[in-house]
Amino acid sequence: MTLTRKDLRTFLSSYKIVALLIVIAVIWAFFGFMTYDADLGGSQFLTARNFSNLLRQMAITGMLASAMVFVIVAGEIDLSVGSLLGLLGGIAAVLDVIYHWPLAGTIAVVILLGIVIGLGVGWLTAYQGIPSFIVTLGGMLVFRGAVLGLTGGITVAPASEELKVIGQGYLPGGLGDGLAAILFVLLVVTAFRTRAGRQKHGLPVSSMAAEVARLVAIGAVILGFVVTLNSYQGVPVPVLILLVILGIFTIVGNKTVFGRRIYAVGSNLEATRLSGVDVNLVKMLVFGLMGLMCALAGLTTTARLAAGTPSAGFGGELDAIASCFIGGTSMRGGIGSVAGALVGAVIMASLDNGMSMLGVETFWQQIVKGVILVLAVWMDIVSSGNTR
Amino acid sequence: MADYLLEMRGITKEFSGVKAIDGIDLKVRPGECVGLCGENGAGKSTLMKVLSAVYPPGSWTGTILWEGAELKARNIRETEEAGIVIIHQELMMVPHLSVAENIFLGSEPTTFGGLIDYDAMNARAAELMIQLKMPDINVALPVMAYSGGKQQLIEIAKALNKNAKLLILDEPTSALTSSETRTLLDLVAEFKARGMACVYISHKLDEVAEIADTVTVIRDGTHVATHPMAELTTDKIITMMVGREMKNLFPREDHDIGEVIFEARNVTVWDTTNTERKLVDDVSFTLRRGEILGVAGLVGAGRTELASHLFGCWRGEHTGAILLDGKEVRVHSPLQAVRQGICMVPEDRKRHGIVPLMGVGHNITLSVLRNYTRFGLIDAEDEMAVIRNEIDRMRIKTAQPLLPIASLSGGNQQKAVVAKMLLPGPRVLILDEPTRGVDVGAKYEIYKLIFELAKQGVAVLMISSELPEVLGISDRVLVMGEGRLRGDFPNTGLSQEQILAAALGKQTRDAA
Repeated sequence: MTLTRKDLRTFLSSYKIVALLIVIAVIWAFFGFMTYDADLGGSQFLTARNFSNLLRQMAITGMLASAMVFVIVAGEIDLSVGSLLGLLGGIAAVLDVIYHWPLAGTIAVVILLGIVIGLGVGWLTAYQGIPSFIVTLGGMLVFRGAVLGLTGGITVAPASEELKVIGQGYLPGGLGDGLAAILFVLLVVTAFRTRAGRQKHGLPVSSMAAEVARLVAIGAVILGFVVTLNSYQGVPVPVLILLVILGIFTIVGNKTVFGRRIYAVGSNLEATRLSGVDVNLVKMLVFGLMGLMCALAGLTTTARLAAGTPSAGFGGELDAIASCFIGGTSMRGGIGSVAGALVGAVIMASLDNGMSMLGVETFWQQIVKGVILVLAVWMDIVSSGNTR
Repeated sequence: MADYLLEMRGITKEFSGVKAIDGIDLKVRPGECVGLCGENGAGKSTLMKVLSAVYPPGSWTGTILWEGAELKARNIRETEEAGIVIIHQELMMVPHLSVAENIFLGSEPTTFGGLIDYDAMNARAAELMIQLKMPDINVALPVMAYSGGKQQLIEIAKALNKNAKLLILDEPTSALTSSETRTLLDLVAEFKARGMACVYISHKLDEVAEIADTVTVIRDGTHVATHPMAELTTDKIITMMVGREMKNLFPREDHDIGEVIFEARNVTVWDTTNTERKLVDDVSFTLRRGEILGVAGLVGAGRTELASHLFGCWRGEHTGAILLDGKEVRVHSPLQAVRQGICMVPEDRKRHGIVPLMGVGHNITLSVLRNYTRFGLIDAEDEMAVIRNEIDRMRIKTAQPLLPIASLSGGNQQKAVVAKMLLPGPRVLILDEPTRGVDVGAKYEIYKLIFELAKQGVAVLMISSELPEVLGISDRVLVMGEGRLRGDFPNTGLSQEQILAAALGKQTRDAA
């Protein structure tokens, strides 16, 4: 009996993402079953339209989570992202609605501001030694206060048509198909190149059959993804942005010096410093990246609502942090992946979406999400054998 | 009554299919001290973890008889209740709690109302301190007020308080000064006289030779031999540990010493917490191309602090000029130091040397990763080529190049850390206790490497607390004591006694 449990544990810890995908499947099956309505012609949860909505809902949390992973991996935390999202979204709304700035100008200014504010937070943490928990707890209040001051506590509307595309637009079907095909080819090529490289250097590789099975599975997911979305209105623009971020950040995390150093800093700060790495710079840049993602998330939020609201992004930091932890990021730093965090975000969004659809009351939704977070991290600890 | 207090028979423990120890026997009679010797990674710690039920019964095979009956402890608490107490290499103290609180942690005496009875606790702790011949220790002060050596003895007080029948000491003297080591060895001898048995694990074979009645040697997880110490010599133990004859511990090679390339002038370093206290006091010295300069001294002499200043990583106040080729250079961070060609292998490997979650290879390339990029992306091909080259050159034993470094033995971790600091191509290499906690074979390879580097013209500054090592490797020896430079001797006909005398300040500074 111990043997089977050990086997399961090894399997789950080496294919963490598979375990998470199983969780998603269970959640979807549950909501699919619960929302089944013969009169309306089937399950209401498992429709192309709802799938598209769900992904658009998770896009904003996903943007925050994809940078939050790096913050947590580096051994820090950022509690201010929800408020910063609100502030930057509010600025975007003001520039767009009141001053009628051209879209490019609005985007440029908001992104620049996001990066600068992020770097500022990072500077206070890395160079001035104020714990990030404190700096960003303060930032959470400061930024939220600033949004209220900026908007005067009222909604700034209506946003221009151009801006709305970022949050509400869809990619034409053909373009979506083309991009998916290119993506798949790229994945196959890199998979085989990596494999050849690893073999050459005596690193362990999975069997050829497993490799092909993995690629076929990925291909099936991509195909299903695009076909489903195209059968509604196409790939939503924010989802496309998120996928591009996923790609870039995965490369940053695995293939760049900066990425390697983020993991090194989180695993052993002192040893990394003594290896001649400018650890303060690494930390500051990670917060800069977080600021950039707040800017993108803020723009997307304003575009999606077609307005700047003083409460935009409220609680967003908690969703982003929860997504990271559900996705296998270690609280102690040094471990975590962007893909995992995004899967975590899908889980959170599925719960939100499904429960709203079932008409579950808000207070229950919060309780369920809280329980799922604790449960997910507990499962992670049990499966990796780290119980005390 | 059984002959043996403890009898471990045919202990085998596997980690995911690999046998860490394979059929090891260990027997201890009442009142006997058994020396347990073996290279790092030989399985000593694994064996002790089996005994103390860190690995619970069922996760290993074999039998353990304790006082003639099978030992059924399922966790450390139960083994301690049986009378087996382990003192680990790394201190297990809560630094902010008082000495007495640490001794009684988990077994605090309480008053009727359930509150901690501090009077009884402090009185009993003070009594223990007298037994340990450390009456000066104030048991109400936080443990961190005392040196690592004193803390080690406090750990022993903790064991005494638990009424240990068998005391297991795992590398107890690796952080002790020689006088503290003396106290510890005397104590162990006294415990023996009182009938307490002990298992003494150490790389310092002189200590084993002095204290042990019987010596058990293990190698690569298997039992090599058990003999009474009377029939053995330290050389014989080494031969058994290594499995081959070690003729020369220090593979001295001739190397040319060139002009002065590095100079430190008037280095003074202040304590970070007690800012009035000078840890290094006005130290100046020069270093020549291809020269190996040993830095000897007792623990707390300020050697590590001096190195920290030279490498730009001291956090407190510090002054003093650093000159390379006669020109003053700014070294305010390790990054600047590495760029100037000054590299350092730190003393505390676990805290300052390795990045535990990353692979061996990625640890090695950490400081020079930027050299292996194309268009901002790491060229895995280039990087792997370098990693494999380093692993071969340093003879790092690892199943595959990207295995997490934390899973390697101490010696192999150290070789990886050294490789990491060699890749930037240093002109001056600072080695702070490069062979601490490293087994005999790896030590030999590190020494060979040091001579190789000196041949290539690297100036090496080696801090070491092991005097035979200092004498066996160095061209010249600096001796520090209480933060000051107390001697600068060419290593010709120098003896351990001379160095020790200088370190203790018994001799005026020798102008050499």
